[in-house]
Amino acid sequence: MSFKVGIDVGGTFTDLFLWAEDGSVGSFKVLSTPQDPSLGVLEGIRVMAEARGMPLADFARATSLIVHGTTVATNAVLTRNGAPTALLTTEGVRDALEMRRGIREKQYDNRYQNVVPLVPRRLRRAIAGRIDFRGEETIPLDVESINRAAEDLRREGVTSVAICFMHSYANPAHEREAAAVVRAALPGLFTSVSSEVLPVIRFYDRVSTTVLNAYVGPVLRSYLQNLTARLADTGFAGVLLIMQSNGGLAVPAVTEHLPASTLLSGPAGGPRAAAVFASAQGHEDCILVDMGGTSFDASLVRHGAAALRHDGEIDRLRIALPMLDIVTIGAGGGSIGWIDEGGLLRMGPASAGALPGPACYGRGGERPTCTDANLMLGYLDPAYFAGGRLTLDLAAARRSIDELIARPLALTLEDAAAGMYRVINSNMAHGVREITVKRGLDPREFPLVVAGGAGPLHACMIASELGIPTVIVPSAASTLCATGMLLSDLQHDFVRSCVGSLAAIDPQRLRGLLAEMAAEGERQLAAEGAAEIDHQVALDLRYLKQYHEVTLPVGGELLAAGDWHAVVEAFHAEHDRLYGYQLKAQGTGLELINVRVRSLGRTHPPELPRLAPGGTDASNVRKGSRRALVPESGAFADVPVYDGHRLLAGNIIRGPALLERTDTTILVSAAYTARVDEAGSVVLRAEG
Amino acid sequence: MTEAMIDKVLAAIIGNAFKAITDEMSLTMEKTTRSPILCEAKDFVTGLYDAEGRMLEQTENLPILSFSLSPVCRHIAERFRGDVYPGDVFFHNDVFSFGNQNNDVAAFKPIFYGETLVAWAAAKGHQADIGGAVRGGYNPNATEVWQEALRIPAVKVFERGKLRRDVWELIFANIRLSIVEEDMRAEIGACTVGERRLLALIEKYGIDSILAHKEYLFEASRKMMEAEIARIPNGEFCGESTVYYDGKNEGSTYKIRVRVKVEDKRITFDYSQSDPQTNGFVNGTFTSSASATVLTFLQMVNPDIPHNDGMLQPIEIIIPEGTILNAAYPAATTFGNHLCPPNADAIIRALAPVIPERVTAGWNQLLCSLSTGMNPHRRDTYVDILFMGLKGGSGAMRDSDGYDHIGMIDASGGVLDQDYEMFEHMTPHTLIKHEFLCDSAGAGRHRGGLGVETIYRVGSDATQVVAFGDGDVEPAFGLEGGTEGTLNKIELHYPEGRVVRAKSKDLISGVPAGTVYVQQAGGGGGYGPPTERPVERVRQEVRDGILSLASARNIYGVVLDSLTYEILADETARLREERK
Repeated sequence: MSFKVGIDVGGTFTDLFLWAEDGSVGSFKVLSTPQDPSLGVLEGIRVMAEARGMPLADFARATSLIVHGTTVATNAVLTRNGAPTALLTTEGVRDALEMRRGIREKQYDNRYQNVVPLVPRRLRRAIAGRIDFRGEETIPLDVESINRAAEDLRREGVTSVAICFMHSYANPAHEREAAAVVRAALPGLFTSVSSEVLPVIRFYDRVSTTVLNAYVGPVLRSYLQNLTARLADTGFAGVLLIMQSNGGLAVPAVTEHLPASTLLSGPAGGPRAAAVFASAQGHEDCILVDMGGTSFDASLVRHGAAALRHDGEIDRLRIALPMLDIVTIGAGGGSIGWIDEGGLLRMGPASAGALPGPACYGRGGERPTCTDANLMLGYLDPAYFAGGRLTLDLAAARRSIDELIARPLALTLEDAAAGMYRVINSNMAHGVREITVKRGLDPREFPLVVAGGAGPLHACMIASELGIPTVIVPSAASTLCATGMLLSDLQHDFVRSCVGSLAAIDPQRLRGLLAEMAAEGERQLAAEGAAEIDHQVALDLRYLKQYHEVTLPVGGELLAAGDWHAVVEAFHAEHDRLYGYQLKAQGTGLELINVRVRSLGRTHPPELPRLAPGGTDASNVRKGSRRALVPESGAFADVPVYDGHRLLAGNIIRGPALLERTDTTILVSAAYTARVDEAGSVVLRAEG
Repeated sequence: MTEAMIDKVLAAIIGNAFKAITDEMSLTMEKTTRSPILCEAKDFVTGLYDAEGRMLEQTENLPILSFSLSPVCRHIAERFRGDVYPGDVFFHNDVFSFGNQNNDVAAFKPIFYGETLVAWAAAKGHQADIGGAVRGGYNPNATEVWQEALRIPAVKVFERGKLRRDVWELIFANIRLSIVEEDMRAEIGACTVGERRLLALIEKYGIDSILAHKEYLFEASRKMMEAEIARIPNGEFCGESTVYYDGKNEGSTYKIRVRVKVEDKRITFDYSQSDPQTNGFVNGTFTSSASATVLTFLQMVNPDIPHNDGMLQPIEIIIPEGTILNAAYPAATTFGNHLCPPNADAIIRALAPVIPERVTAGWNQLLCSLSTGMNPHRRDTYVDILFMGLKGGSGAMRDSDGYDHIGMIDASGGVLDQDYEMFEHMTPHTLIKHEFLCDSAGAGRHRGGLGVETIYRVGSDATQVVAFGDGDVEPAFGLEGGTEGTLNKIELHYPEGRVVRAKSKDLISGVPAGTVYVQQAGGGGGYGPPTERPVERVRQEVRDGILSLASARNIYGVVLDSLTYEILADETARLREERK
């Protein structure tokens, strides 16, 4: 018997998904261990071994694959615990990193401060030398100043160096020379060179990304080395793969070289799993929402893969590597309800977290949270929360809501709790609008896939606010990201700038760039043992004199044939789709900015188990009923409660109903009907 | 309004929905406009207004535009009462009927539910050209509105869904650039998006419910604003500031004087004692000046108050016609938005003694330039507004430092720098420097935001440089013992060695390739005595090169070893003691 394991280390919990050769699967959660996350990972493996009734060593030896999503890089940035890092950059522009193009996100808040830069000014060293926008050297590189800087940096205790010079995407010679000098002077240091990390035009994007990469590099490297050693100690001799922010996998050596590619490592696993569960319902696009204790994440699946962006941010710092396009808002089970000065009810973004937690946890939390409201509304069984591991204190929830919400607003206790539920649903619907409407997409055209322990109680209401007809709650809802990790492919993204009028671009040069990137992809994927390799090409194009580009996927054969006409036509159509107009009639020319290649190494993902078929009738797994709010009528009623673990494929349950599982509870509201599919998902559809 | 109908939870949800609609309208503008000042600098605003023109919600990108739509909307609602139909679209820019600036042209679309006018959707953006004597509209020689712009009082360009082709053509026959026509279509598009979304909301909750909850939302915002005002002691507080150089008479100065009256839950800003208008283009309009007043005051209150009509109800603004902030017909006024910084200074000076914990010290004022000419690499013309060069520091507060390189208070960090590499691709120029300017921040227990120095080499002959702004005579002021920031400056170093300093309103032609353009945007004012700034922070700033050793010693009383930057404790203690 062999095993494959997906491990998603989150802030509070480490989620694990276990697949066994016999086709059985299991979801597990253990507490995360932020001081050394590998301890939590090991604990998770121990728990899984125990669940399989095996000694740890036997289980570890039988595990052929571990796919790991890690927050190590993210946390290093958020807590500013990355490596002491220096930046060597072109004389005259060393403050670009800190200026962030001069933006203040909150225009009316004079107390709002700029982000502390990852490299303080004294460690941002100006180096003379200049390449112009055509890639020609106009001032030679001052090698002596690099040697002097290296000497200083040694004294400053720097362990990582970022190198980013003006126009290095057009000519990397100065950066390469500088890197060689630094590596010779300071052996063992981590170096991050912009023309290797992200050879694209736009200085701020590049310098910010290169510095992020340098800052998290040593931390991720030592974590991975530590983890690899610990896993080896258990007897694990299989393959370890790391989840990257682009939704693809890579071997540890590759991520050690490009550590910034793991900044959204955890959540990036979700869309792949969402795609698999959505495809069982015949959809290749979907919206994924994940509601945990403190935050609500929304992301998108297009054509079976995670929708990415290359103008993302982490902690207000630009990262221009392709990464999951995700909208995060402060809405979770722990979100605190409060009343603003104008007398309006608000939910979050402050959260009671896991400690003190919601009032009903009885751990000292006094402020009313979303979970307290859900308990009051009858959606949660005080005796069966987390499968009965935690008994909820209904009286504490009532007290807290009464005192801080109901009385100040002169509402009944029930109306206050219902209000909290509605407001947080409205906030989450707004988050879904951000990821769809703001990207030019209509949410009604996508099914909503729901993950996270708290999400399935709110899904129907989020969907109905947006007019989304179908909601899918996967069997692995509470560990969806860990599941997705096991289902993902190896993937590497490459980009090169190639700026100029499309009509004047030398096709030979373009083909050369594409071939160079594809070869790099082949090399990496071959080293990772990929058998089936595939490349996808995209061009960043815009109309002449525009400022924002559109990334246009194009078939490789189009480029090979030099068929610009078809590319131009496709651009007009895509621009029209996104922005509602095109300039074909005016004959406006196009400008090429970047060329992109995505190299995919197809894996053979494990088959997820199918649920045994049953009839439409599920009355035999009905556990009873309880008084709960029916959102559509605004009134309490006796709502049937079902055992979610005993449902069979084909079962149909009309709302209102509650389907209880140990990891989550699904609310089927009155306007919805639930059907269970063979993948084990509960599919909710608005009827009538 | 019937109290019984109010669902306080639904009120919050409808409030969110209004905001989502104006955000979506804004996104439509951002993605579909072409002029860089719209799609890059986002100099536009979108909003929803009720049938009477009262603001329901808006998405403001530059605060100075934020309160400039509602007065026009009220004007149109009033003037066309009984003559508004589904499918109508109005254009408007006229500064003598509540417009804020000639170039800021608005589109308004009435929203009908059945037969009834229930709301307006509106979008307004800074257009690349609006006719008048000078391309782009900044004409320092103008003395009358017609030398600046085509006046568009409220006119229907669509009636009952039908384009009024003659009116449309009349307007665009008087505007130089064809992109303006496209960008105005984008404004109409944004209004249509707003109309569709609001109607969907009405379908969902019912018109009576929406109207009742609208009033409730106004009330909620009003209460929040009243609570903020109630925290200011009652009384009358005066402040003044100076506007330098009207673009015609070198050395000319004008005073802005404000009397702020606080009575329990109401606040009045009375500008009656300000100087008369100028005979040039350095004049405000009522709307631009009132917008400046509101945005400055909003920075002194809870930043989370929803922006709707209720928020404005407790605020009264008096600006007599004929004064510099409200020039009488037919004055030139294009510089009016840029009177926001001195207006803000006057308000801050008035309120600083009363609410010292809520004001900033002085902000760096705007001094902006743009260059135009031929780009030989692209064999095409270019226009570049040097956004990166114009942004100095904000003033410090009692409990926090100012913000570095944020720009003038009327944008407050809403305008992005150009990317350096794109700048070199899209203009013929070469960037030599864009960095924080050492010693530019006003000193204090909390320092002002840093200014920046921007240097580029002009890359083609016959370049034209236009400068407009202020802040080259009087620096940003400090408060409570904090010191002032540094001045703005633009210089051209010609290849043959001549150095020309640009005036604050200037147009310099025939600049040859190889000329070096040098601009300094000053720092913001400091707050509190510099000797109270922690010694370690002073040391770090010296190490970081944004404060000189000499300033550390002379201003902060911190003495450092010039090689090791170690603190010389005895000398520092002695110096700081002396300064007390």
